[in-house]
Amino acid sequence: MTAETAFSKIIQELGEIASWNYPEIASHLPPERRALAYFCPFVPEELIQAAGAVPIRLMDTPVKISHAQAHLPAYCCHFVKSALENYLRGDLDFLRGVIFSQSCDSMKGLADIWSLKGRLSFQSNLMVPARLDSPLARDYFKIELEELKKTLEDRLGKITRENLQESVRLFNLLREQIRKLYGRMRSDPLRMSGEDLARIIQAGYRMDRDRYLEILSRLLELWPEQPLGKSPAVPLFLSGNVAHSAGWFSLIDEAGGRIVQDDLCTGGRLLRLQTREDLDPLEALVERYFSAYICPTKYQGPFAHQETLFQEIKESGAKGVIFLFFKYCEPYYFDYPDLKKYLEAQGLPTLLLEIEDPSQAREQLKIRLQAFVEMLS
Amino acid sequence: MPDNLSKLKSYREIDSVKDYRRLMKAYYLIAKNPKWFGKKVAWITSGGAVEPLYAMGVLPFYPENYGAMCGAARTAVSLCETAEAEGYSRDLCSYARCDIGSSFSGKGPLGVLPKPDFLVCGNNICGTVIKWYEIQARAFKVPLFILDTPFIHTELQPHTVTYVRKQMEEYIAFLEKMVKRPFSEQRFLKVSARSLEAVRLWKEILELSRNRPAPFAAFDAFIHMAPIVTLRGTRWAVWYYQKLKKELETRIKNNQGAFAREELRLIWDNIPIWYDIRNLSKMLSRQGAVLVADTYTSAWTLRPVDLDNPLESLSRSYASVHLNLGLDHKVNKMVELMEDYQADGIIMHSNRSCKTYSLNQYDLKKRVVERTGKPGLIIEADHTDARSYAPGQVEKQIETFIEMLKKR
Repeated sequence: MTAETAFSKIIQELGEIASWNYPEIASHLPPERRALAYFCPFVPEELIQAAGAVPIRLMDTPVKISHAQAHLPAYCCHFVKSALENYLRGDLDFLRGVIFSQSCDSMKGLADIWSLKGRLSFQSNLMVPARLDSPLARDYFKIELEELKKTLEDRLGKITRENLQESVRLFNLLREQIRKLYGRMRSDPLRMSGEDLARIIQAGYRMDRDRYLEILSRLLELWPEQPLGKSPAVPLFLSGNVAHSAGWFSLIDEAGGRIVQDDLCTGGRLLRLQTREDLDPLEALVERYFSAYICPTKYQGPFAHQETLFQEIKESGAKGVIFLFFKYCEPYYFDYPDLKKYLEAQGLPTLLLEIEDPSQAREQLKIRLQAFVEMLS
Repeated sequence: MPDNLSKLKSYREIDSVKDYRRLMKAYYLIAKNPKWFGKKVAWITSGGAVEPLYAMGVLPFYPENYGAMCGAARTAVSLCETAEAEGYSRDLCSYARCDIGSSFSGKGPLGVLPKPDFLVCGNNICGTVIKWYEIQARAFKVPLFILDTPFIHTELQPHTVTYVRKQMEEYIAFLEKMVKRPFSEQRFLKVSARSLEAVRLWKEILELSRNRPAPFAAFDAFIHMAPIVTLRGTRWAVWYYQKLKKELETRIKNNQGAFAREELRLIWDNIPIWYDIRNLSKMLSRQGAVLVADTYTSAWTLRPVDLDNPLESLSRSYASVHLNLGLDHKVNKMVELMEDYQADGIIMHSNRSCKTYSLNQYDLKKRVVERTGKPGLIIEADHTDARSYAPGQVEKQIETFIEMLKKR
């Protein structure tokens, strides 16, 4: 097999993993490891991994909302609705349990409905402080993480310091590889589409992480040194919440744009979670949430979001910014007007795309994207 | 809060409302002109710890109350539209949109709002307020203090109490810096004692409606709650609620209810539909259906303050407000209200503007109905944005619900 074929095969393999439905995810898990789900990056995957389970991140799915309608009002985002729908349909019954973390008001409500239905053998609610600018919050969160660690040990198995260190190392390596991948996408933009990048990242949340590291490393090894050439596509920064369906990325590709970096909660933002290896591992996991801006549901000063976003956009070389938000997502929509004003004042045009669910009409969004890209060309 | 129920024939006006109007006029006179009174102004959330502010001589201003006022005065829609023109989504909380719209335009029932010297945000009511107050901290370029009270899905944990109490200490240090004056323990105790007394009186007033007929309907409580929110910790709140309580006790003695006729007793869940209170009240009074209690105004019947340990007990109290509690607690509270007030049913307002209140209402209703055997109705609206409300449809739903209850 040529290096080129092997390279394409890896992209294809990860693309297939990204398109697995939940039963397929379950059937591909290593037999010695149970699956434990979580929703947001405030739940350290490292702890789940160290306890001997595979962390499965629950994301939006294109499922038709039917059962969830009996529990949630219409003015609730598709992310929450689809997670509940999958849960109520029994798609998630293969999970050993789930860990919720305190983020937005809708997730708080979802955690209670989830617990009421009791389909999984255990549920833990990790309380993440709302202000991540204070040593008091740090002390509080440390206790919360220690308690989560105990819960995982009771349910899954002992988490030794060595296990946890090893796990921190694994996830740091994964993030390093993903950082390199974004770098390669910038320096060799014709090699792989944004859609493929989205799938590669998505695949990582639903498979054994040792295997994922192996595949990612191989992909980067096979990536040719010589770039294919310059891309005529407009470099764009994608900013948003958890909407990570590859469909949104392909839409941007088709409109003549290319994503050079994103700060999606399920995408490039994970790079901010790099964890210090010179500290006690649990202490280091606490520390990382206080040293980087992770989420608009948390307070780290009134300017934290815009400063972090602007810095990342500057580094990416993007010529414009696309905001991609799920409808009804309050934390993002509250920040949006000031972010838009600030970025546009810095000479960065922006475009807001509001999405309800992945099945909605793409063409309308595509026309808006094309007009935006044309303006930047 | 609106006070326009008096024109209804089937409704008995509360005499103390005149004092209520005077009191709130005086409060807003000071709030609008703080410099005349040598006051600094802090904008604070409705569930925020106000006692330390009063103890430091700072005047609290409540943007949420202001939002309710905009709703009742039917000026909310144009203020929301101003905020929307600035890029704020129509799906965001309409209290926040009213406040932001008012800040941009200088319009609204109070005209230009008093500029805050600083902001105090308690997230025990929702996460929305954090975002809203961040926006205002940027707009007014003033410091923001956040009192973080982690959500209680099951039980209040000891480390949560410690976290909140330590933040209370930090809050006091923040206030000392803001007003450039040391905190007076003695003054704080005095304010806490007044707060305790006002909360006790407010609780007793609401409990008077356990009587048949109920002397004080939830629509009255929506109006008369303003002092427990804004003036909690002052002697004025105590004075007013003593007077109101006395009047309601006289009603009980004379066997007088809030409405001329009481055939059905109902519980209300969620924030009122401020712009339609009068119409809904009229409709219910015509049918002899009294809202005898609600989950909203009773949220200010906070746990009593322990004057031997005020900071710790305030921390417990503010961490455990109704909206900071999980579904099981909400079910228990609703069942308790149904039983204590011998209610025949529940009307739940599914409020587009308040996810904390509304997200779990379907399950809340189901479980309360299962436990009490009493029916419930969910109506859809928004607390201040009348564009998200179909009055004809809601009235029809309520009428049908009442008919069904009467046939039971």
